Amino acid sequence: MKELSLNILDIAENSVKAGAGLTQILIDEKDQVLTLSIIDDGCGMEPEVVRSVVDPFYTTRTTRKVGMGVPLLKLACEQADGKLTIESVTAKQDPEHHGTKVEATFHTDHIDFTPLGDVVSSITTLIQGHPDTDFLFRHTKDGKEVSVDTRQLRQILEDVPLSSWDVIQWIDSFLREQYDDFNTVT
Amino acid sequence: MKVGDLPGHGFKALALPDPDRSIDGVYIGDLLSWVMGRAQMDNAWITIMSNNNVIAVASLADCSCVLLAEGVELPEDLIELANQKFINVLTSEKSAYEIAVLLSGLLS
Repeated sequence: MKELSLNILDIAENSVKAGAGLTQILIDEKDQVLTLSIIDDGCGMEPEVVRSVVDPFYTTRTTRKVGMGVPLLKLACEQADGKLTIESVTAKQDPEHHGTKVEATFHTDHIDFTPLGDVVSSITTLIQGHPDTDFLFRHTKDGKEVSVDTRQLRQILEDVPLSSWDVIQWIDSFLREQYDDFNTVT
Repeated sequence: MKVGDLPGHGFKALALPDPDRSIDGVYIGDLLSWVMGRAQMDNAWITIMSNNNVIAVASLADCSCVLLAEGVELPEDLIELANQKFINVLTSEKSAYEIAVLLSGLLS
């Protein structure tokens, strides 16, 4: 992918497919290291599945449920001297606290670092496509933060669906305004 | 032309499980997700990437072969994987551009 934002979209779609009620998309930048975490409370994966999702042939041969998303994210972070880790707890292992955490690190000063790209569009696309599940997005860097939490929006909006055009437009400008401050060097 | 003809034109076969595949076009690219959506069936795909995802993308896009440019080699386990997945992989010391020029002549 030319932009990490597209990888984010891919991985978060897996979370939704795993039946997540809440998918957290967290980006933290510190000392030239970008950490991307996608954490869901979906059904989780058995250990042998966790091992096999990084293998592109697991997905292309036996099931298309996961796609090339994980192998390509792994490649993107390893090309930038980072690494990918996946932790998962199935609903069978722990009915209370289950789900999957995909964490990828990148050295942002590496020449092959894939730029983050238009992450706002990825977030609004996810919300628009899955208005009945919740997303928490947070990007932090140098004490600054950009965030949106659909659980809070849902409370304010009451019966208005999150996928309605006006709401999506609002979320888009809400995030872009936050990024204006975020990207301002003080 | 067929993939099996390429060793006669200076390519070194790393895995040649399906030499009778015909080549009727060329795609060049190293960004795998990009190639996945753009390489066409029966294309010879020229790249400098050599990881297991390359074999997967060649398989998904149904390329006739992977041509590694600039002397890129495949590790032993990936040669085995390519054979197992029926993906032809050859390498050349030439650059992607020079390979494309050569194939342009061979295909016309």
